[in-house]
Amino acid sequence: MPARPKRYAMVVDSKKCINCKACVVACRAENSVPLAYSRNWLNEETRGVWPKLMAASHPEQCHQCDHPACVRVCPTGASHHRPDGIVVVNEADCVGCRYCMIACPYNARFFREDKGVVEKCDFCVKRLDRGQLPACVETCPSKVRVFGDLNDPESKLAELLNNREYRVKKPEAGTGPQIYYLI
Amino acid sequence: MDRRKFLKFSVGGAAGAAIGASLAYVKPFGHAPEKEGQRVEIPTTCEMCVNKCSLIAVVENGVIHKLNPNPENPKSRGMLCARGNAGLQQVYDSARLKRPLIRAGNRGEGNWRPASWDEAFDFTAKKLSETKDKYGPQGTLWSSTESFQEVFFRNLGAAFGSPNQVRHPSLCLASVNLAYSLTFGTVPSFDLLNSKYIIMSGANRLESFITPDTMDLIESAEYRKAKLIYLDPRFTVTASKADEWYPIRPGTDLAFILAMLNVIVDENRYDKEFVANYTVGFDKLVEHVKPLTPDWAEKETEIPAKDITRIAREFSDAAPRAVYYAGRRSSWYREDFHMRRAQAILNAIVGSWDREGGMVPNGKIALGEYLFLPWDDPVAPRVDEMDKNFPLAAKGDGAYLKLRENVIAGTPYPVKAWMVHKQDPMNALPNQARTLEMLQQMDFVGVIDIQMSDTAWYADVVFPESTYLERTDPVEVLSGITPVVVYRQQVVKPVHDTKTTLEIAQGLAKRLGLSQYFDYTLDQWIAAQVKELPLEAPLEYLKKHGVYVPRDFPKYGSTLNAEHRFVTKSGKIELFSERLQEANYDALPVYQAPAQPPPGKFRIITGRRAYFTHANSTNNAWLNQFAPANSLWLNQSAADNLGIADGDRVEVASTVGAVRLQAKVTQAIRPDCVFMLHGYGKKSKWQRLVAGTGGCDTELLETAWDKVSGNASLHETFVSVRKV
Repeated sequence: MPARPKRYAMVVDSKKCINCKACVVACRAENSVPLAYSRNWLNEETRGVWPKLMAASHPEQCHQCDHPACVRVCPTGASHHRPDGIVVVNEADCVGCRYCMIACPYNARFFREDKGVVEKCDFCVKRLDRGQLPACVETCPSKVRVFGDLNDPESKLAELLNNREYRVKKPEAGTGPQIYYLI
Repeated sequence: MDRRKFLKFSVGGAAGAAIGASLAYVKPFGHAPEKEGQRVEIPTTCEMCVNKCSLIAVVENGVIHKLNPNPENPKSRGMLCARGNAGLQQVYDSARLKRPLIRAGNRGEGNWRPASWDEAFDFTAKKLSETKDKYGPQGTLWSSTESFQEVFFRNLGAAFGSPNQVRHPSLCLASVNLAYSLTFGTVPSFDLLNSKYIIMSGANRLESFITPDTMDLIESAEYRKAKLIYLDPRFTVTASKADEWYPIRPGTDLAFILAMLNVIVDENRYDKEFVANYTVGFDKLVEHVKPLTPDWAEKETEIPAKDITRIAREFSDAAPRAVYYAGRRSSWYREDFHMRRAQAILNAIVGSWDREGGMVPNGKIALGEYLFLPWDDPVAPRVDEMDKNFPLAAKGDGAYLKLRENVIAGTPYPVKAWMVHKQDPMNALPNQARTLEMLQQMDFVGVIDIQMSDTAWYADVVFPESTYLERTDPVEVLSGITPVVVYRQQVVKPVHDTKTTLEIAQGLAKRLGLSQYFDYTLDQWIAAQVKELPLEAPLEYLKKHGVYVPRDFPKYGSTLNAEHRFVTKSGKIELFSERLQEANYDALPVYQAPAQPPPGKFRIITGRRAYFTHANSTNNAWLNQFAPANSLWLNQSAADNLGIADGDRVEVASTVGAVRLQAKVTQAIRPDCVFMLHGYGKKSKWQRLVAGTGGCDTELLETAWDKVSGNASLHETFVSVRKV
């Protein structure tokens, strides 16, 4: 029997996020991202009038979509969809046309002037190959992100998605985003 | 020094030497030796703040690629924060200290001459000896902050004969430590993971990390449904996660706690058995809190009386899984000690002591000691006259502000040379102008650090220390509900011409004729420490794991028996303290309403973001990007009155100084307070990201201290704000 294909995804429990930026720095180090750019970021919001206030922060990065618009528009095939669901950019094939940056509904990609290529979060595929979690997931003080295989019913990720309510960002874009925000 | 150490010296020293010889630095057990093109993982210990989290350094081709959390350490809860991740920047920062420097121009001009280590040692030893000849060894001051090699610096100061060592607690937690020590005989940890009800006064735990409390607070608040009540004049991240947040009138927390005590006593909600068995002074407490009703406290705190009453009831219902969290940096007000004492008393009478979810005395692990030759105790009294000014405080740590004022005044004797170990008094002490005055009256200032701090900027000699990833340190025990032993080992060889503190201490000792007290190697020191651990090959274990976790923790209830004697005068938990009474302090916490800012002025309050440690990491490029400059938090309504818009440049002025920075007009702070981040507006041009950028809070803060502990009071300054 062939092994069940993996489908990597991420659950984000923003309520636990304390906006400490550990994920941003961990990603920078792991992926050698220059200071001017970032593969992940925190959306901050503060609302209300003193003293009735609320504040929240929501981590975001590439949504590793099921139907990635970036892949569809890539003229060289540099942006491609791996069988495990991760969308990656093959730097050698990227010509820096940046169509993918326009196509991405999440603004998750950036153009690296120094290398002439487009870059984004790839769930730390190099770490996954070594059996490690993505850097942002592992380092988080409050364990906001849960990473796992959607096709594994035993995973913490599947358990959360079965038992908790969640939403995805911009479902109307029709790209099938795979970052699930718990409500 | 302890004579016992001398007697054991020959035995311990010889054994240490034998073990040490076979354990010269080797790559950690279980890891392949480092080679070109190879990737090695080395477990070690973080030094980006005081938490000392365990981490695993990934080294590729001899360069640190990434620092990962080490899940084996239960205290760091398998995480590494933003600072921990940015630690490798310390190693590769182009502006770090790379070689010894001797001042060439005037102090603070920034003209430096590179020097050899021999020259820097010779020059420093000459200056220290001159000072000793003229003023005696007490004419030298040795200041340092918690780090694994601090012991060697302190030992050098002590061997030199100076009674004047001053550390960080009197700028931080001296008042809370003293309050809990006088009540329980020890400073406990708080079992937040298992608490059901947590009250925090200003301890912004979700932005000011303490392990494991920060992680446990999120875990218990979000998953275990503990209730978090949070009091703070500012809407912090912790406030945003709390079940209830009260923007309390600053400095009135004691009134809130006393009213809680009033309700709990009045409604017989205290733990009668616990109070009877383990405490003294309850009768006096009952009388003391009788008039201090929630209605009274509402007028002081602006927290509705009905809420105070309800919180007191909920708190006592949840006890013993209920804590009024102690906080860490308790350098707030002149009456801070009594506020912390009241918390301790409140926790005690509901029986939240040594039980799951309550306060728990810290577990301990015994380490061996390297037994070195002892020196004579210093003859002179301390320059801060602790015995006279703060008779109950921890004397070895000193009282920094009183010390500064005495040094400037030259009483009771002159202090003319200052050695500083990895501390930045220019940014740590309120009233920077006074700190500079103290510094300028010194004949000599020597600083050991990894970066050109503002204090180093004004020094005569700067010694570059190797960063924590470039050196091996003594083993340390992290106390806590689950204590652990952590080990810091060299990850990469020093990138520049830097040395460890032990090497610096030995270099100076040699020239000061004190070599006999430093006649050992780091390996010998470590071998003596670890030989008591219940492990077959303790050092090999630590090299492989980076941390040792004993199995027999957490333990609850070890002090809950009739035989247990608390380390207090009465042997019990002291609700009423005779020692305080004897020293002419209030034996029960007496509330004194703090002064409030006059119209047109604001109270300046200080605090943290999770990605900075004190003033020392704002120049780390990977962290600075989150706040390239600081700004002045100003409430919208106050800003409207002053005609200030968000982003306007403003001048903030107190009686001791004025700084200019951008206004951040916000809803998230009380209209009578302003706030700014620490660590900006630096003088040191080598801290190029923050040199002259934003405003420096210590230029504004006025000198004030807690009367009992001598702890600095950082929230007692009123400022005016105007658009410029």
